[in-house]
Amino acid sequence: MKLLLAEDEPDVQLIARLSLKKAGFTVVTVGNGREVLERVGTEQPDVILLDWMMPDMDGFETCKRLKADPATGHIPVIFLTARVQETEVARALALGAIGCIGKPFDALTLGRQVMALLAT
Amino acid sequence: MVGVVIVAAFVQTLVVLQIENRRGATAAAIDRALWRHENQLHLGRLVVELESVHRSCLVTGSPALRAEYGRLWDLYERTVTLLPQYIDEPDAKRDLASLDGLIREWHLDASLALMPQAGPGLEASRWLEAASEPRMRLIRSELDRLETRERNRLTEQRTTANRQALQSTLLTLGIPAVAIVMLLLLVAFVARILLDPLAAVAKSARQISGGNFDVSLPPASRDEIGALVHAFRDMTTAVQRRQREVTVALAREREQSEISAALRTKAEREHQRLLATIETVPVALVIVDAASGRIALQNKAAGMLVGHEPEGDAEREAYWNAFRVTTREGVPLSVREWGAQRLMLGAVIVGEELVVHHPDNREIPILVSAAPLRGDDGTIVGGVVAFQDITSLYEVDRLKSEFVSIVSHELRTPLTSIKGALQLLLDEASSAHPDHVMLMNVALSNTDRLVRIINDILDVSKIEAGRLELHARPHEVAEVVKLSLQNVEQIASGSLITLTSSIEAGVPAVHVDLDRTIQMVVNLLSNALKAAPPRSEVTLSARRHGDDFVAFDVTDHGKGIPPEKIGLLFQKFQQLDGAITRKARGTGLGLAIVKALVEMQGGCVSIDSEVGRGSTFTVTVPVAGTVARSQ
Repeated sequence: MKLLLAEDEPDVQLIARLSLKKAGFTVVTVGNGREVLERVGTEQPDVILLDWMMPDMDGFETCKRLKADPATGHIPVIFLTARVQETEVARALALGAIGCIGKPFDALTLGRQVMALLAT
Repeated sequence: MVGVVIVAAFVQTLVVLQIENRRGATAAAIDRALWRHENQLHLGRLVVELESVHRSCLVTGSPALRAEYGRLWDLYERTVTLLPQYIDEPDAKRDLASLDGLIREWHLDASLALMPQAGPGLEASRWLEAASEPRMRLIRSELDRLETRERNRLTEQRTTANRQALQSTLLTLGIPAVAIVMLLLLVAFVARILLDPLAAVAKSARQISGGNFDVSLPPASRDEIGALVHAFRDMTTAVQRRQREVTVALAREREQSEISAALRTKAEREHQRLLATIETVPVALVIVDAASGRIALQNKAAGMLVGHEPEGDAEREAYWNAFRVTTREGVPLSVREWGAQRLMLGAVIVGEELVVHHPDNREIPILVSAAPLRGDDGTIVGGVVAFQDITSLYEVDRLKSEFVSIVSHELRTPLTSIKGALQLLLDEASSAHPDHVMLMNVALSNTDRLVRIINDILDVSKIEAGRLELHARPHEVAEVVKLSLQNVEQIASGSLITLTSSIEAGVPAVHVDLDRTIQMVVNLLSNALKAAPPRSEVTLSARRHGDDFVAFDVTDHGKGIPPEKIGLLFQKFQQLDGAITRKARGTGLGLAIVKALVEMQGGCVSIDSEVGRGSTFTVTVPVAGTVARSQ
């Protein structure tokens, strides 16, 4: 399963990548939302994990554009965010995301959390 | 007094009457004397005529003359008969009688001489000379003497009459004079008897009118004056009493006015002090008059809202009208509706945030408090409004939010990395050195603790800012228990403590924010695990609590909490008996968060603890209404 991970913080990106790789994902990493939009066409990921706050283009804007584009609208989006509040979750769901995973995430269970969200 | 006057008048009347009497008598005597004198003269004249007629008759022998003589003689007879009636004196009577005798003797001779046989002529004249002449001389001299005497007597009587007239005059004048003198004496007497007390009364009256009420009055006699003195004395007493009352009243009034003057001074001083205080406090103060709706008083701080102080009523009015006021969220509001109406209803406004929009587009956040001002009768006559420019507080709040943001993102991001790295390392640590594994575990547990602290701090700041949102839904109690236990399983398994749970049969579902309820229970369980001694038991039990609540009890068998420390439990950053429990340090925020969360959900937290036996913490949460009814 191919996962596109957008995370601006290199350390977090590394941990997440290793954790997801360990869980069996093929992980493609980018540093911001613009890169997601650039790479999503070529990579054709099965799921996109978006950090909420990123420079250049944040998770919201990215998600909005992904969902607005028929070519990418079908790809499930999961937010990775420090603000796991119901309002934020609701906002994410309203944008078309399938869910949120709180930061700091559990490196041992991150893959399982993604799978769980994909299963719902 | 009156009697004396009457007697005097009576005496005078008597005297005057007597004098008049005497005068009357004298006058009568004079009249009689005059009349006598007249008759005597008449008598004298008759005698002269008789002689003359007689002589003529003798010479002529005329019968006519003889008749005349007879007539004269008859006249004489009548006169001489009448005359004695008017003569009182005996000597005069005697003289008259002797004269009459002489005249009669003369007449007798004269009559004889006239007899027709005697005839006229020389003979007759001889006779006359011889016989009647001496007698006639005697008669004449006697008549003269008598006449002289009568004249004298008349003169004497006149003198007497004059004297009496003088006497009478003197008496007539004198009696009134005496009466006047007596009257004067009487007046003097009356003055002494009557006027002296009156004068004394008058003097007293003057003294009283002069303000001196210590007057002595003469002893009162038993007459009208006495009555007057009595009355005056009564009046004086009444006036003195009234004066005393007035004096007392005046003294009281003076005292009152001194007191009120002192109070006025004090009030003035207090007023000045208050004004000075109002002027100097950094809080803006405005006193509004309800009747006019105008500003009655404002201090410097109120005028400095935009950097300069308005002067005069007009500028002040314009100053306040220039502002537009909105709520913090930007909803425009009318100051009248916002404040005036509430104040007029007697409400006190405490610490409400508003934003003043200045014409130059500056926004000035203010914190406003206001209270009604009441008049003496309790009606609301105005209001005092106090507000503060809280721009700096907003700045502080902004900085705090920024800080919280940094904590939540910038601080947690590296922690996420550390934790993730450690977890991944430990996951593949089978080949590592046991010491390294132990060190990695230390790093990981401390990272977890840091994350918890940050989360707790974030929670507390959200709770305090009122930004913590709860999303209550019905949840099964079993779910809450299971998820809570899962959360602490790791900690429990690492210790020698047995973690057990029980759920009362038929306990209804609860209406809660699941995450926050789990957070509460987990906080309590974490505390219990820290407090519990090794090989002891920590239990979580859920039971029904009344009709409307479900209680979660977390019991440990630790040292227990002394009653005096219980009050500290729910304060922030309080850790009991830190030295001993250091090894399982918490954030010191757990129970404060529990308290806030449970109260936000309508429940409460309580503690039952006994030193040496352990503690039970209980939180109650509301039953889900529909579920509760269905079961």
